[in-house]
Amino acid sequence: MTHYILESKHKSVTLGMIAVGVLCLILSFFMEPDTLTGVGADGHAINTHARFWTNLLHNSVFFTGIAFISFFVITASITAYAGWYVAFKRLWEAFGSFMIVGLVFMMIIAIAGFLHVHHLYHWGGNIEGDRILEGKAGFLNNYWYTFGTLIIVGVWYFFYRKMRSLSLAEDEHGNAGYEHHKTMRKWAAPFMIIAGFTSAALIWQWVMSIDGHWYSTMFAWYSTASWFVSAISLTILVMIWLKSKGYYQEVTDEHMHDLGKFLFAFSIFWTYLWFSQYMLIWYANNGEETIYFRERIDNYPILFYGNLVMNFALPFLILLRNDTKRKYGTLIFVSVLCLFGHWWDYFQMIKPGVVHTVHDYIGHGNHSDALNDMEGHIDEVGHGASEFISGFTLPGFLELGVFVGFLGLFLFFVLNTLSKAPLVPKNDPYLGESLHHHVGYGGGNEVHH
Amino acid sequence: MVHTEGKSKVLYGLYNDDEVLLKAISEANHRHLDIMDVFTPFPVHGLDPLLGLEESRLHQAGFVYGALGTLTAFLGMSWIFTRDWPIIFGGKPYWSVPAFIPITFELTVLFASIGMVVTFYTICGLRPGVVNENLDDRISDDKFCVAFDTTHASDAEVDELNDFFQATGVEEVNTKWI
Repeated sequence: MTHYILESKHKSVTLGMIAVGVLCLILSFFMEPDTLTGVGADGHAINTHARFWTNLLHNSVFFTGIAFISFFVITASITAYAGWYVAFKRLWEAFGSFMIVGLVFMMIIAIAGFLHVHHLYHWGGNIEGDRILEGKAGFLNNYWYTFGTLIIVGVWYFFYRKMRSLSLAEDEHGNAGYEHHKTMRKWAAPFMIIAGFTSAALIWQWVMSIDGHWYSTMFAWYSTASWFVSAISLTILVMIWLKSKGYYQEVTDEHMHDLGKFLFAFSIFWTYLWFSQYMLIWYANNGEETIYFRERIDNYPILFYGNLVMNFALPFLILLRNDTKRKYGTLIFVSVLCLFGHWWDYFQMIKPGVVHTVHDYIGHGNHSDALNDMEGHIDEVGHGASEFISGFTLPGFLELGVFVGFLGLFLFFVLNTLSKAPLVPKNDPYLGESLHHHVGYGGGNEVHH
Repeated sequence: MVHTEGKSKVLYGLYNDDEVLLKAISEANHRHLDIMDVFTPFPVHGLDPLLGLEESRLHQAGFVYGALGTLTAFLGMSWIFTRDWPIIFGGKPYWSVPAFIPITFELTVLFASIGMVVTFYTICGLRPGVVNENLDDRISDDKFCVAFDTTHASDAEVDELNDFFQATGVEEVNTKWI
């Protein structure tokens, strides 16, 4: 089967997932935890609907990142003269198509920030007298947030459309001179440079600035590695599903083995960055920086340690052996684990900071920020946040429901894009290499030739 | 007079191309010929399974060496910094696990890599001062060699091997005591 056909069954399953997500998103709007609501000076109830907004932000960032990384891997592979992935590059092209949906969601959040509808960001409120946030106001403001998001994701998507149309044109008009491929090389290399810098700027703005006083130079790489592992996990899962439906028979155990290696290697890469960030902050023991981890270790220990178990210990030990990367059962298990694990990772990046900002806004609890800690109020760190807050301390059913919804939306767009072109590209100069891909795994006495 | 004591009489054929070599080995398998060894100037894809070579167990040894490195580093530092010579660094506790991790990682890599190199050299008989005799110098340049041990082979068997070489497009066939 050379074309994927979007069957009505696949449509209704993904639409059903979306329905679950919409329902849970609406419910999370109305099920704000009590500790995050308050009463204003004029006697009016204050509800920032933080659960709703964090769920929206969390999943938008997560899935936009997966789409972005999938496209980034294509450009990196083209630039690196890689050939192994070509047989299924249409799947990553399909993943990339979700970027435009992610842009819409991020714009909703940006505009809502302009209108002060949500209180996700520490810098989003009144920052008068806060010397740290005043100093960062040139970057952390609603104008740059909105136009930065629009311009950066817009540029990504522009490059994506360009590469996609070249890839489709190569199918139709590809020739022995490989002109399409050569043009793609010219587009791919600058994109990598642009993407490298802009993705860092975006992740500072989207996620790191939630804890507005805090910053880490490792953060961009660390969270991008998280996107990368998620993208590979989802690639493996969708690929195994497509193969089970009879598609992509050209994609063999050899390709799956390499995807498994990517999953293994980037899980370790993520851990390396996680640890580098953690250890430098732990070692320097600078109050402005350690508060980020102090908060998470004290009040969110399951998030904090669960993150390491799911994203390092288990994938490392399971994928260490050669043959586990060729067994679909193991691959499915580790991919589900890593996809969920990195979603969990973003959860712990986003939720604790928002609890702080909201408490600050409604005047609840007795949070001291890093600046005050420096002035001697260390005892108050985290005070008032140690109680269990549903949807914040741990992901609840609504959070999982929103995740399922976004996954459904993502898959809907991916499958829709996938159905529009042949699954295996024609005329790509590296297609032959990909179809004969062999990783040199010589286990047992299998005869391959 | 060639000195033959403790040596094998090797009949070997040289091929020009790795694809031809792979086809020849398939043919040898088909004819149930007992190949002694194959020498190539670079790793030829798909050669191992054709020769029925089992997957190397070197990486399993590597895991053991790595684990040894992990334990050496972690237990070593734990002992040094809590029992043998406790020093406070930057107000941190004596048993500062995060600070041990980089060194633990480095020693894991060091033990695994050095252990595997030494194991590999030992298995191959490559020790300092050893002189290995080559069947033919060109097998490290541009020729692909299939070798048979014919020390105890009958004339009929040698004829059979020569037949095989001619049938599979060999460039050159030689005999050498090695």
